[in-house]
Amino acid sequence: MSETHEALPEQKPWMTFVQKAGAPVVSVIIAIGIGSIIMWISGYDAGAAFAALFKGALGSPKAVGDTLLRATPLMFTGLAVAYGFRAGLFNIGAEGQLFIGGLAAAYLGVRLGGMSPVIALPVVLLAAMAAGAAWAFVPAVLKARIGAHEVITTMMFTYIGKYIVSWLVVGPLKAPGQIPQTEMIGTSAQLPRIQSLFSDATLTAMPLLKLGRAHMGIFVAVFFAVIVWLILKYTTLGYENRAVGYNPWASENAGISVPATIVKSLCISGALAGLAGAVEVMGVHHRIFDQFSSGFGFTGIAVALVAKNHPLGVIPAALLFGAMSAGSGTMQLEADVPQKIVLIIQALVIFLIASESVVQWFIQKRQKEALARAR
Amino acid sequence: MLGDIITPDLFASALRMATPLALAAIGGTICERSGVVNIALEGIMLTGAFAGAAVTLATGNPWVGVLAAILAGVAIAAIHAFASINLRADQVVSGTGLNILALGLTGFLMERLYGHPGTTDPVTMIRPLFSFPKPLAGFGGEVLRWIEGVFLSHTPIVYAAVIIAIVAQWALYKTRWGLRLRALGEHPKAADTVGISVYRGRWVAVLMSGALAGLAGANLVIEQVGSFTENMTNGRGFIALAANIFGRWTPVGSYLASLLFGFADALQIKLQMFRGQIDIPPQFFLMLPYVLTVIVLAGVIGRAVGPAAVGQPYEKG
Repeated sequence: MSETHEALPEQKPWMTFVQKAGAPVVSVIIAIGIGSIIMWISGYDAGAAFAALFKGALGSPKAVGDTLLRATPLMFTGLAVAYGFRAGLFNIGAEGQLFIGGLAAAYLGVRLGGMSPVIALPVVLLAAMAAGAAWAFVPAVLKARIGAHEVITTMMFTYIGKYIVSWLVVGPLKAPGQIPQTEMIGTSAQLPRIQSLFSDATLTAMPLLKLGRAHMGIFVAVFFAVIVWLILKYTTLGYENRAVGYNPWASENAGISVPATIVKSLCISGALAGLAGAVEVMGVHHRIFDQFSSGFGFTGIAVALVAKNHPLGVIPAALLFGAMSAGSGTMQLEADVPQKIVLIIQALVIFLIASESVVQWFIQKRQKEALARAR
Repeated sequence: MLGDIITPDLFASALRMATPLALAAIGGTICERSGVVNIALEGIMLTGAFAGAAVTLATGNPWVGVLAAILAGVAIAAIHAFASINLRADQVVSGTGLNILALGLTGFLMERLYGHPGTTDPVTMIRPLFSFPKPLAGFGGEVLRWIEGVFLSHTPIVYAAVIIAIVAQWALYKTRWGLRLRALGEHPKAADTVGISVYRGRWVAVLMSGALAGLAGANLVIEQVGSFTENMTNGRGFIALAANIFGRWTPVGSYLASLLFGFADALQIKLQMFRGQIDIPPQFFLMLPYVLTVIVLAGVIGRAVGPAAVGQPYEKG
């Protein structure tokens, strides 16, 4: 993923921004285009599909709320993958760390549910971070010590983590009743819905605030995006993370411990993924069960790539994929197109950004044409 | 009870379970030897499995299904080859994209073709090659029962995998083609200088890995399970990558490593049958292959060193 660009004459700040954001945006557009072609070949009405997708994602305040709801865990997994990428590490196992983070939140949420939210909320969030970090720790040490590929090990830990959760929700942590799930967490450990902050009168006056199931986790996510950005930009920790990602040999020579940085980076990545599980438990399901994540960890990879691993870029990227995820239900319902088309588009985005030179070539061709026209 | 667990059937099952892993792992070996990482093995196997099931369902002929699985594998691999060789993409990220693509595409096509998610109708399966009369009594009969049970009870692709491992080993280490292929993974610049086409050599290797992973998918659906289920590969592509490393980037080594993982899988299935007698939750058995993969990567291999130029795109200079 090189970031070199042919210098164009008279670089203006907005042009560099366009160049930086251009490739991801073009990739998303191409991916949606290919997705439409696949729908068309399969005999679906792509126009109706996108209309329904749009309606389900942004068509009403409730739809916007759904988009925010889905974007919340994606911001965390996107940050998790991006933070690892910045150190040259590919945390493909964010999904597993999300499960273990969610498990910690569900466990402590029940036990701290009676306390004041001022204690319960931060403690549960911190516990989920610790749990996610712990789940990344073994792959991190294996990578740092013997170079075992983190893609394989974090993936294996994802399967192990999911089986642990699936065991606990049918066994030791099962709530009374037929359904395999844990008990509901206490109200003080729950992240309230955004609309619950306003009185009925305010909501009637401003129906735009009726955001349905969207909860306060979105603000926590944005807060963490800013924190991660500050860490990467201004702290030694972040500097070392970036340095190792950029050139591990030079970093070693400059006195940075590469193994220590690898362990820190993957554990921080795991902590962020753990938070994704926590917000799902605290804001949405209020408990944990077998299939409580619909692949947020994997979508986080696409989010990070579209954001070009920039923590603040993760915010719009997560909103984009959150919107697609929120709209896909309406799309299936109203246009009868399988939701999986969204997964295909997501995969194409990842693939296109990996093969950035195609997109880059496409953009440069356009810019050259534009320049030629201007002359 | 130990006698009930250690039966010919357990070892036969280990051989069966090892087969898709081994085929994909050998594909991974060939691919990485040429200098290209193929994280997409998981997705290729899944696509192969789906193509195998769909074509077998449509034609009623499982062998046409096997062919379709191989071709589907080659097609997905071609995308990976184009991205990682010609476009010099980040190979791990491109492979991940393809894994997710395979998941989405198979799920999408499944709903399009059969109108529902989940599992397809049962497909016509390929039967074991040999069949035997009733076993004899006595010690001789017991020995025969073991030999038949462990080695002679299998379907054709299980045997094909053994042959492929041996042939691939020979081809990589005893032929000019193999020497050239390995040169691409160790020092592509030097290979290029003496007139070996880096691009063409890598393309062939990536396509071969696609064919093998596709065949692995066919084995899974047409010889083992008998129907396609979404995401049925369940991490086997990643375990195959670990088997390739454990086998030190050699085809026979990959096969033997896959046998170990296959045995873990077979044991896990066998132990689940004794759920009533052993007081361990089934999830712990299901974890076994994944835990074993981590342990193997962690300890046994020490510092395994792969091909020097693996994962690095080559730019013609």
